[in-house]
Amino acid sequence: MFQSSISQRSSRLSRRDPTSPLRHLDPIILGCTILLAIIGVITVYSATRGAGPNYSNTYLYKQGTFVVIGFGVLMVFTIIDYQKLHDWAWVFYGITNLLLLLVISPLGSSTNGAQAWFALGPFQLQPAEFAKISLIGVLAFMLSEFRGDIDVRRTIALLAVAGFPVGLIMLQPDLGLALILTVVMMAMLLIGGIPTRYIVVLTLVGAVGVVGALNSPVIKQYQQDRLMAFSNPEDRSNPAVYNISQSKLAIASGQLTGQGLFQGTQTRLGTVPEQQTDFIFTAVAEQFGFLGSGLLLLLYAALCQRILRTARVARDQFGSLICVGVLAMFLFSIFENVGMAMGIMPVTGIPLLLLSAGGSSTITAMAAIGLVLNVHMRRFR
Amino acid sequence: MDTVSPRIRMSVLGVLVVACFVALFARLWYLQVMESPQLVGQASAQTRRTLAVEAPRGRILDVKGRVLVDNRTSLVVGVDRNVLDKIKDKDAYASSIADVLTRFGTPVKTATIQRRISTQQYDQLHAVPVATDVSQEVMIFLSEHASDYPGLSVTRQSMRVYPYGMAAANVLGYVGRISAEGLKNLTPGNDPDTGKPKIYGPDSYVGLAGIEASYEQDLRGTPGVESIEVDSENRPVRRVDYTEPKPGNDVQLHLDIDVQLRAEQALSDKLQVLRGTAQRDGAVRGAPAGSVVVLSPVDGGVIALATYPTYDPAEFAGGISQDRYNELLDQNGVSALVDRSISGQYAPGSTFKLVTAVAALEHGLINANTYYNDEGVYYVGDPPRPFTNSGSVKNGGIALPQALTVSSDVFFYWLGDRMDGTTDIQDTAGAFGFDAATGIDLPNESAGYVWTAADKKALHKKYPDAYPDGDWFTGDNVQLAIGQYVITVTPIQLARAYAAFANGGTVHEPHVAWRVLRSDALPTDEGGILRTIEPVVKGTVALPPAVRDPIASGLAGVTTGLGTATSAFVGFDQSSFKIVGKTGTAQVEGKADTSLFASYAPLSQPRFAVAAVMEESGFGAEASGEVVRHVYELLAEQPLTAVSTATQGTRD
Repeated sequence: MFQSSISQRSSRLSRRDPTSPLRHLDPIILGCTILLAIIGVITVYSATRGAGPNYSNTYLYKQGTFVVIGFGVLMVFTIIDYQKLHDWAWVFYGITNLLLLLVISPLGSSTNGAQAWFALGPFQLQPAEFAKISLIGVLAFMLSEFRGDIDVRRTIALLAVAGFPVGLIMLQPDLGLALILTVVMMAMLLIGGIPTRYIVVLTLVGAVGVVGALNSPVIKQYQQDRLMAFSNPEDRSNPAVYNISQSKLAIASGQLTGQGLFQGTQTRLGTVPEQQTDFIFTAVAEQFGFLGSGLLLLLYAALCQRILRTARVARDQFGSLICVGVLAMFLFSIFENVGMAMGIMPVTGIPLLLLSAGGSSTITAMAAIGLVLNVHMRRFR
Repeated sequence: MDTVSPRIRMSVLGVLVVACFVALFARLWYLQVMESPQLVGQASAQTRRTLAVEAPRGRILDVKGRVLVDNRTSLVVGVDRNVLDKIKDKDAYASSIADVLTRFGTPVKTATIQRRISTQQYDQLHAVPVATDVSQEVMIFLSEHASDYPGLSVTRQSMRVYPYGMAAANVLGYVGRISAEGLKNLTPGNDPDTGKPKIYGPDSYVGLAGIEASYEQDLRGTPGVESIEVDSENRPVRRVDYTEPKPGNDVQLHLDIDVQLRAEQALSDKLQVLRGTAQRDGAVRGAPAGSVVVLSPVDGGVIALATYPTYDPAEFAGGISQDRYNELLDQNGVSALVDRSISGQYAPGSTFKLVTAVAALEHGLINANTYYNDEGVYYVGDPPRPFTNSGSVKNGGIALPQALTVSSDVFFYWLGDRMDGTTDIQDTAGAFGFDAATGIDLPNESAGYVWTAADKKALHKKYPDAYPDGDWFTGDNVQLAIGQYVITVTPIQLARAYAAFANGGTVHEPHVAWRVLRSDALPTDEGGILRTIEPVVKGTVALPPAVRDPIASGLAGVTTGLGTATSAFVGFDQSSFKIVGKTGTAQVEGKADTSLFASYAPLSQPRFAVAAVMEESGFGAEASGEVVRHVYELLAEQPLTAVSTATQGTRD
């Protein structure tokens, strides 16, 4: 009895303590996250174990490890009061930008034509993923400081702060992540109170910029292929067209109820390139059918809805903007990734958060969820 | 803050969330439920491969049901191409395979393995065969040491086996892998149960010679179908579906393997005895080749068809090397792969007097009692050129029967002279089926030729260098009368002509095959006989008694008394098995004579027609006559005698 009363008092984070924020932890966000991460590990395994009879466990253990580490990070980002993170936002921002600079130096290593990783033994660290969190943090900081009073000078400052990491990521190049950061920024500016006319101007400038970029030599051949594949899906010589058609075949072969775990022919036989990362949705769709992949989308939808709700109920604008940033990051990743797999969005290398194999993206997603949980449980005070 | 409130902006975000998910759900429903039926077919097509599994071929049986060609299972070592492509040191790999095979009884060189694994003929789904017919020990060793020999597998393959060894190789033929041309042109036979064609694949084995080739449609089995799943790199993953292959139909022949063995033995023994000896005029007998044909005059069934030299069809079963193949093409200067019984073309010599006699009697030039004084020489042309009997023998006053018995050339020169200017001899030869292929059910038959004056002129016109003379001389007709210079026949044609004379004039198409049987049933079972190859009558020769009797009596005398083949039939009891025949000795420029003997027996009710032709072997009786006698010993169920070592027989 004595011991327990001590422990109750000593920890304000216990759920038994009526004053502890943990009592207000959102079980739906946490539940969805855990479910999605587990589905992710199983699906990644199913897409990488090979055709047999000797199955490979490499990805199973790797992704399992990432999920466990991710939960650790999630807990850290949940428990530390996000108000403290408020003070560290610029530090995070500085560190990630330093890493982004280093990764395009000879210290970084390059795969598939993009210099985006630090090789750490068997793992690769992708600093651009962490840039998502730090950008959300620093934009939330700035916008909450501005309190909706945004003039041209401040707008330029915001754009510059967001543009710096985006520019560095374009140098790798990683179009997908640059796109996510841009979308995150747009969403946060919108909610952060930027005047409507600026939004119109920014959209126009953005459109001109995109058209200009597409016609400039900055765009690489494979990126051009991907965009052409979207506009001209009949061109069989385009490798991205092959990707999309294989992806659609795998999804279609799931039909209503799916072929069953480890039973999907296309998944088992590896007909979908990059299935464990960018095309992980096809593995879910083929093995679990419309019912399974629909349920998966429902989990994501529930997650997004709860993040949006957290944004609404947040105690302060800083917390609310963090949630908006995380929501934008999730929503865009899901729509672009799943849409690309089903052929309604162009192919870009964007992972399906929490599902796709990959340490940096999984851990980042967990950290982001942690932040939302953090904002949610500290919404009253 | 602007005009738009944060609440509304947040709502925009909410609408966006809903819109995105609605769009994704709609698309997902479309792909997985609405469009799925079309796409599912495409998806499974790219992961399924259908392979044909070759079926065992039908067996080939002799007339008494003895198995002449059977199947056995051979163990074949193959290499998985997918594994092979990943092996860096291919030379070491090849030498490790060669070591294992050599250690367990299949000596093979590393270079051979290297050559085989470098062939690009096989795709990823088919193992590259590196050795056939390996021992059971190899299979056991490889399965126990699988990890040391990546990609190696041992599979069972059906191979042809020949219980009688080389016997009847020319008739049975051999099988080999289908050629690209064959794959395009061969018409597959139909499965007797389903009626569906037994489709060929690039791995199919087909009959390339003999009965194997001519009854390919029956012998070929119905391939099994194996459906396998492949991964994105076309590597086989697992078997999804499998239909057993079904053996082909059996083909039963008229051929009697005992008679065949006897004919082959007699032929080869006698050729060996004669080889290198000198015939009477001093020419050395090369005796390189010969053939024996045994036909049934009743229906044209081929009872035996021997040729020398011949080959071992088993050598072809697992694929033959080019060197060995070339060796077979040159056996003492002649090819072992040519069936001389159906494609050898020889001047028939005196055996052709049968035709001349029929022509002369038919056209009323002579009758059985027309005598002519044979003084050993006959003069033709201006200035007169002498044509003599063999050895210039004078036979005196003789009529047709005696002229046949003693083989008087002069008598027939006289007939040839009298028929000059007509095509009577050629016409009768045509009626007997000379000058055209017999249509025997074996590939690569030749037709021989019987020239007329018109033929000779046409040849001269076409090839003036090879045929400098376009005119037909009386001398040509005189030579034709005794089967020389302007005529060649094949042994099968010769035997068939005697068979036709024996049966009263019916010229059959010779058939080796008798009937097609189900491999899983007895001929006595209902439906056990799929079809019978009915006798085919190609034509008839009018042989009224006035024509037939004098010739038959003349030929009946050949093997007794004064007959030219008496020496060959000494000791043969003809009291109940009278042999009717004719010797032939055809001169070949610069070589020893072609020895021929054509016959049928027994006289009263002919059941067999037997002809033998032996190259560079001397007189008809001393070589072919004796060989035919050895065959008749078996047919008449008389004591079998060994080959005579005598090399000098009677004349002609």
